[in-house]
Amino acid sequence: MSGQTGERVIFAILGVPMLICMLIFSWILSLLLTGIGSVRWELLTVSALQGGMFEMIVGTIYLLLGATAIAGPVGILAAIYLVEYAPSRGLTRIIDQAINNLAGVPSIVIGLFGYTFFCRHLRLGVSLTAGWLTLALMMLPIIIRGSEEALRMVPASFKEAALALGATRWKAISSTTLPAAAPGVVTSVILGIARVAGETAAILFTSCVLITRGLPRSPLEPVMALSYNLFVKIVALGTPAQKVFGVALVLFMIVTSLSLSAILLRIHYRKGQPWLMIR
Amino acid sequence: MNLESFLKSLHKLFMRLKSQPVEFILFFCASFSIVILLLMFLFVVKEGSLAFVRLGVQLIFGQRWETNSDLYGGFPLVYGSLMVVSGALVISVPLGICTSIFIAEVLPFQLRDPVKSIIELLASIPSVIYGFIGATFLAPLIASIFELHSGATALTASLILAIMVLPTIVGVSGETISAVPRDYKEAALALGASKWQIIRNVVLPFSKSGMLASVMLGFGRAIGETVAVLMVAGNVAMVPTPPWNYLAPVYPVTAVIAMQMGEAAVGSLEYSALFGLGSILFIITFVVNTIADVIVRRGPVTRGVQL
Amino acid sequence: MVNDKIDIRNLNVWFRDNHVLKDVSFKIRENAVTAIMGPSGCGKTTLIRAINRMNDLIYGCRTSGDVYIDGHNIYDGNINVYELRRKVGMVFQKPNPFPKSIYENVAFGPRIHKVASGRELDEIVERSLREAALWDEVKDRLHDNAFNLSGGQQQRLCIARALAVKPEIILMDEPCSALDPAATAKIEALIRRLSKKYTVIVVTHNLQQAARISDFTAFLYMGKLIEYGDTKSVFENPHSELTEKYITGKFG
Repeated sequence: MSGQTGERVIFAILGVPMLICMLIFSWILSLLLTGIGSVRWELLTVSALQGGMFEMIVGTIYLLLGATAIAGPVGILAAIYLVEYAPSRGLTRIIDQAINNLAGVPSIVIGLFGYTFFCRHLRLGVSLTAGWLTLALMMLPIIIRGSEEALRMVPASFKEAALALGATRWKAISSTTLPAAAPGVVTSVILGIARVAGETAAILFTSCVLITRGLPRSPLEPVMALSYNLFVKIVALGTPAQKVFGVALVLFMIVTSLSLSAILLRIHYRKGQPWLMIR
Repeated sequence: MNLESFLKSLHKLFMRLKSQPVEFILFFCASFSIVILLLMFLFVVKEGSLAFVRLGVQLIFGQRWETNSDLYGGFPLVYGSLMVVSGALVISVPLGICTSIFIAEVLPFQLRDPVKSIIELLASIPSVIYGFIGATFLAPLIASIFELHSGATALTASLILAIMVLPTIVGVSGETISAVPRDYKEAALALGASKWQIIRNVVLPFSKSGMLASVMLGFGRAIGETVAVLMVAGNVAMVPTPPWNYLAPVYPVTAVIAMQMGEAAVGSLEYSALFGLGSILFIITFVVNTIADVIVRRGPVTRGVQL
Repeated sequence: MVNDKIDIRNLNVWFRDNHVLKDVSFKIRENAVTAIMGPSGCGKTTLIRAINRMNDLIYGCRTSGDVYIDGHNIYDGNINVYELRRKVGMVFQKPNPFPKSIYENVAFGPRIHKVASGRELDEIVERSLREAALWDEVKDRLHDNAFNLSGGQQQRLCIARALAVKPEIILMDEPCSALDPAATAKIEALIRRLSKKYTVIVVTHNLQQAARISDFTAFLYMGKLIEYGDTKSVFENPHSELTEKYITGKFG
């Protein structure tokens, strides 16, 4: 059966690229893990002024919380509008197109825009607030698209049952569709956070500085961040890799655990919801 | 849709929104993306206008980029970007497309989710980490293989960038493969087609436009990537000699913007030139993404497509 | 001369934990129409998909037992499944022509098996379309897209496509369920004609259809073969009470 042997050869050739992808991943993982021994974990809670990472970690968390607080509600409400309310397909298409385009804007251009619009035009200066707004722009498309998908997966019959009982449209959606879609919506928010947690180019000119005295005391002060610190130390200061390994590793672990939890959550809830099993 | 009917439907929409506060809020959120996109275009182009007026096409075709002599010819930068991006795509497109086919059609079912998840994780690694890995591990490796002083070259940047766009290509092209109707696959199967024949005669013809879209989206990703590229490209604003020398350093557009924005005085020609380059980048990615989007949306047409 | 073409012995199929076919054994006569009927979800489709091993591709599906075609066990390790599926054609519930021209649809099978090209291929296409009673309707527009055909024509095109690889057995999974009565009548007449040359197995949940077109009838219920025999005796004088209830419309 030479046909089948030929087929095996073709599949082997197709399989090599996939193996390469897996090898790349394990290579990256192993490189980062080699550094684990040299990291001094007590530095996590030591101030940056004494060579620690405390302000960077907290600064990153501040940035993420604020950006989520902005992009989360806006994104989820936008998705609800697109799935449940949008009157014409034409309008939905235009908005969808805009969302996809926003997702495709290079982060450096978002950074440029954040600088001229938020920092200068709105006079926010290089600040936490400017960073929130800039990062929110990057999260928004991810949250909208993910939530949209989750909402579309909920059968219309759920909502119709509530409507038939006399509920208003918003009441019907918020009491049936939204709870059913909640795990998917949460997943999309986590994915959005993961996407911007390590973002550098967008906060480069808008909200970060290399070192601050303690944590920012107001949202109009600049902030320290893991990604920014790693970047500047390597590029501008030429710091040797050993010294920044801790920062890189902490950042990697934060981002990866966020994405991993989003992925696992998604796999889990797809199994848990019987109506999703029907293709 | 002609303008008049569009305006009419817009008017109708507003009348309805006035009476429905909930719907109004939701509509406001949904239209946010459009507003932001418009603002982005306006503001970035506005800041670049000085450079457009003073430099004209020199901003793209001028041969010398020397901040000290106030010369802002973007050609070496654009060339650097294109060099790095094409290098990355040459590596990642075949790898990515083969991988997506293999995952969707050959890989045992139980392994599909784990492999897809790993690729998704690969996508979520921040670019600064890729830059860190490139600068600390890949660049020395390249330097020692090719006996160079510095491993920060166009090749290094291409390799890192290839890894970074791989998940985009695998993801989007995988999606289009899974959109191939099961009916067609079963019909071919029942005729005695082998797996490979199904891939070649049913899957590929169906998903080739989606694969093209995945390449375009990969291009959009790659050309806009900043931090990782900057950390490994060497950052010398000259066209390499000879121009195809991938072992020479380059200075891609995005890297220049990131590196020089901090020093450029607001309102100066340099500042404006950086925004000018930024607006060109914005327009390129906008166009590429729009085309890719249209291709994907048109999707696997079941009517009128000739396999 | 009457021969048994297919011999199914102790066939069991599971989808994960779901035992779909339970110990089904019977023999299918050559050059006759065998109808498989039963209420939905009783395993009819799974049964015919076991005959060309299409179940293999469903994740979580397990099969035990044997199916012999012309005395060869198709669940034997060294059988060539692609060759098997060429020999056992299949027509699906919903017409599923490829989005190609009428000609290319019929030529698909011969092309992938590299059995013909050029003039020879033209002849195969014409012969298959004639056999499927479609030739006269499409001979002037062979290069039109198959989607321009009506539903019934599309289904006959799918039959022609299956015939083009010269199968010996044709499996049909409720081939008329998506069609109107006129188109159904044409397909039914076609099935009768095809049975002179081919062994035809038709899944249906339409009792009248089973009675009209088949020589033999098998009745499946909850994964078990309840009754099997020539159609006349199954309908007029069923052995099992279940069959009688089903035929008289008490359930299903």
